[in-house]
Amino acid sequence: MTAFAIDRRDVPAAPSPEPGRSVPAPLYIVCSPNRQVGKTMLARLLAEHYVADGRPVAAFDLSDETPGLADFLTRHVTIPGIQDTRGQVRFFDGLIETANIPKIIDLSHREFANFFTIVDKIGLFEEAQRRAIEPLILFLIDPSPVAAKAYGLLRRRFAGISLLPVRNLTVAKGLPYCASFPHASRLVVSLEIAMLGPAARAFVEREKFSLLNLAKQASPYSDMSARTRAELDAWFRRARFQFRELELSLIREQILTALHSDLCA
Amino acid sequence: MARPAVILVGADKGGVGKTTVSRTLLDYFASRKITARAFDTECPKGTLKRFHPGITDVVDVTSVSDQMKIFDTVETSGAQVTLIDIRAGLMTPTLEALRNIGFIDMTKRGDLAFAVFHILGPSIASLDEIAETSKFLLDARYFLVKNFINNTTFFDWDEGTYNSYFNKIPHAVEVVVPKLSEMACEKVELSAVPFATFIADKTASGQPAGYSFTLRGYVRHWLNGVFADYDRVRLTDILESPDSAAKSPRSNAKVAELSPQRASS
Repeated sequence: MTAFAIDRRDVPAAPSPEPGRSVPAPLYIVCSPNRQVGKTMLARLLAEHYVADGRPVAAFDLSDETPGLADFLTRHVTIPGIQDTRGQVRFFDGLIETANIPKIIDLSHREFANFFTIVDKIGLFEEAQRRAIEPLILFLIDPSPVAAKAYGLLRRRFAGISLLPVRNLTVAKGLPYCASFPHASRLVVSLEIAMLGPAARAFVEREKFSLLNLAKQASPYSDMSARTRAELDAWFRRARFQFRELELSLIREQILTALHSDLCA
Repeated sequence: MARPAVILVGADKGGVGKTTVSRTLLDYFASRKITARAFDTECPKGTLKRFHPGITDVVDVTSVSDQMKIFDTVETSGAQVTLIDIRAGLMTPTLEALRNIGFIDMTKRGDLAFAVFHILGPSIASLDEIAETSKFLLDARYFLVKNFINNTTFFDWDEGTYNSYFNKIPHAVEVVVPKLSEMACEKVELSAVPFATFIADKTASGQPAGYSFTLRGYVRHWLNGVFADYDRVRLTDILESPDSAAKSPRSNAKVAELSPQRASS
């Protein structure tokens, strides 16, 4: 059996900030108004990307369906409730109190409207940016008109906040998204989740399946073929490259903003 | 040219939100840099005074000496607005007293502006109060306030019946105070500070308070909604003399645009 450990040489090292400057911690909101478009998958990939680096990460499962993020990454995931004000206070106050930890929210299609309504009312994104937290809305695109409409609404309502279309090739292969899902971020990054073959996909969808464990050879998946392992390893690495690009783009933007302020001062 | 204004906030029923509306009015005038003083007729303990102690006196509006304290100083106090939060059951007697001392005749001459905020209760009895009150107010600005802050449902109002009362008073204007999350409302009550100070996260003494960011967001959103309605009814126009009212531009500053010093004052 071939070993498929994550080699640090395969994926660029975690980006380091310019000395004296702190990198804004990303607050990823993985969302779509539709189900079965790959939200939890993207949230899992992101969370495992941080865990693979040994970096802290906090993930929140607002998916209200099983299997959700919490079913795959029990140690790093909290299941908040935002139906009542008490739960909202606990969740949203908590999001901005710990500024230096990347956070990932896996948002259910059912909570989509409620979540963004609350965010808008309480001014979460503005407050987050004041506290060096960078909100990044990762929107899973699909061919439905509902998705295009929701994307347009977010783009108008949260102008100035990074709204990035994410193409999951399983549901949006070949979908031209420039018109319906125009890139609305200063971050020059294009995110895509590659397709998996049926065997690899079946493993990924197994409860408690962890790409990280697989890469560390600590997985008990004795029924997995070498080919499937290779496919999953390449898939995870490809996703991680894109996440690195995203993080580097964040740092670049921060440096450019700082330079601009220094020049204008 | 500005003229002093007297604003009565009242209802003949208790528990309909007179003090809450008074508090929003004081915050509104502060945000528009209009100086205001207030009289709290919940004698002797006071309710409004808890929130705005620096500008509020507790008075017994039925006593002649306290009436002198309020009305003899309207033009000399230096405050552009004199707001009186009338205790339940005292609105009609107060209006009678104002008529008897000739105050209402003064407002007819245009030397003073006079406005009444009549807070409506959820029962039909409140509509009878409108008829009772309006006979004193032919030359005053008359605002009928539907206060939804505690999710009041105006359950036994027939729209036609309401309109028949409303239409009897051609100069009456409806104002709506939207609902505020109970928890947010309760926290502001407990903190005993003006809404704007709560939003600015300050204690009564101006120190950082550490209120919940989420609740502050809800209060800011709600107060902006209240202010928008005060702007819609052109509340600040009452301060202008009748001949200049049509010429001046309207102020539309929101709570979020207040300077911290102003917001916490």
